[in-house]
Amino acid sequence: MNAKERILHALGRRDVPKELPAFDIGPMRFSDVGAAFSEALEAAGGETVESRETSAETIAGHFVFEGRIVDTRESVTPTTNDRNIGLLIVEAEFGVAENGAVWIDPKERYPREVLTLAENLAVVLKREAIVPTMHEAYERIDFAEISYALFMAGPSKTADIEQALVIGAHGAIGMKVFLEGEG
Amino acid sequence: MSDRFPPMDHAKNAAEFTADSERAHWHDRALWFVRQKRDRAAKSVPEWESLREAAETIKMHTMEHLGFYLERFESQARRNGIEVLWAADAEEFRHIVAEILREHGAEKVVKSKSMLTEECGLNPHLESLGIEVTDTDLGERIVQLAGDHPSHIVLPAIHMKKEDVADIFSKHLHTDPDNADPFYLTRAARDHLREKFLDADAAITGINFALAEEGGFVVCTNEGNADLGTALPSLHIACMGLEKIIPSAQDLGIFTRLLARSATGQAITTYTSHFLKPKPGGRLYVIIVDNGRSRLLNTRHNKALSCIRCGACMNTCPVYRRSGGHSYGYVIPGPIGSVLAGAREIERFASLPFACSLCASCDNVCPVRIDLHAQLYRERRAAINVPSYGEKRRLLHLAAWVMQRPKLYGVLMKTVRFVLPLLPRALVYNRFNVWGREREVPEPAKRSFSEIYRERR
Repeated sequence: MNAKERILHALGRRDVPKELPAFDIGPMRFSDVGAAFSEALEAAGGETVESRETSAETIAGHFVFEGRIVDTRESVTPTTNDRNIGLLIVEAEFGVAENGAVWIDPKERYPREVLTLAENLAVVLKREAIVPTMHEAYERIDFAEISYALFMAGPSKTADIEQALVIGAHGAIGMKVFLEGEG
Repeated sequence: MSDRFPPMDHAKNAAEFTADSERAHWHDRALWFVRQKRDRAAKSVPEWESLREAAETIKMHTMEHLGFYLERFESQARRNGIEVLWAADAEEFRHIVAEILREHGAEKVVKSKSMLTEECGLNPHLESLGIEVTDTDLGERIVQLAGDHPSHIVLPAIHMKKEDVADIFSKHLHTDPDNADPFYLTRAARDHLREKFLDADAAITGINFALAEEGGFVVCTNEGNADLGTALPSLHIACMGLEKIIPSAQDLGIFTRLLARSATGQAITTYTSHFLKPKPGGRLYVIIVDNGRSRLLNTRHNKALSCIRCGACMNTCPVYRRSGGHSYGYVIPGPIGSVLAGAREIERFASLPFACSLCASCDNVCPVRIDLHAQLYRERRAAINVPSYGEKRRLLHLAAWVMQRPKLYGVLMKTVRFVLPLLPRALVYNRFNVWGREREVPEPAKRSFSEIYRERR
């Protein structure tokens, strides 16, 4: 027997299981999902910016950085191993109020590594695209269409040295979400 | 992994840890602080208990049908272009990883946190083949440079002080040995590891959740090391213990809400990354590892396989907080580690079920409701029968024999009550009185309860 057969044999039954019952979680609700999102993102070390206008220039004005600006909303493909991205602008498909996370799917528009190589990350999000919790979030995702995508909540961080929180571990040091649309 | 450790004695190891009382107190307080953050996060979710119950149900269901879900995962992942391999034990696993790396000519590997690779001793094996392995989680990089092992599954370097890190970094990263500022040290690690990321030929990651229906998997980090590590090289090897499987992505709503809140008190990890297909031109492997898990499935400890490795049971455990992760002598410490180690090899880890006050705090924080304290209680019955516990076993048998004879017991206790206060201190607090090592024996009552009861009824 090969390893797979040995393991499956040891695990025993392989019949098709009955489907799990639907869980009645009764997830939390917010009177103002936008405000809840902002509060959660702030707790995660990020920041929300209310912005009617989201041109690259306007967004760049909210960051202090050196290096290039890469705006993935335009048809520029940043090069792999680009060490000099000071600010990366990406769109998020939706946000999650309970934890301040945004769903980012690079698709074919830009290589995935720029998301972590960039020093600062600006995320553009439509205000109406904020769901209350992760349950609603996962209902929105079509996994057949995904290669790699992520929920991101705030800038990269670590507390591995004496539990002292330091913002900026390996990925973005600054992360701000620009909320588009009427408040 | 366990063969790397000699038979161990938790109490003896813990004594070494507590010898530095200031450090031990810091450790205790730091983890209690994490526990409090977890409490606040859990209380902010009104449906918390429903989530725990759902998570428990999903995990128990999945464990009952592991064979089905793993095969489903394999066929779905293959459809996505992911190559799936199976490893029955640690040796097979190490061999498979080494073979893949050799085929691709990979000499420099960046690894993000995976307790499985630690369990299987992957790093030393790859290093013996001349492959450079860099752990990229900051805590894991610290213990790697120190030639040490993680003492906690989420906070690998929690046993170290910032001065220790300054010392290690000054030797390896040429930082200022007198600067122990966490911000300064983290930035130095960021620069150092950025070079490793850009230079790597391959990435190895763990897996938090594998999705049977979608044929993909999720990796959770705060630092972004799994994302950066896997994004650059064209080869990604993801390793999972076979219990990491869940039926489908819809279940992630439940697990992602529980994991970070239980682990660190965050509402979600900074990066919750979903890998479904290899990147363009790249190769993506998933290795499913058994290494004793299927055996556990058929024992009374099967529920321990539901563990999602949040570490909450460690942060809350009064023994873990005061004895440190290394005192357990097993790759996973704390209550869940004691269960897993004992189930694996009770002769070697017989002291672990006793490193527990049976307070059951771990049961109450566990996001998948593993009955940890009950498991440890049951494990004691196996532990007491190992040869090294012969003395304790005989004493307990003697005690049971006496207690079954009320008259003899009454006479003996009366003698003790009379004699004990007359004895010199040195005679009472001798080396056989383990209990009295850290405590004062209470003053005996003048009369026993039975005597008082007979008088007054």
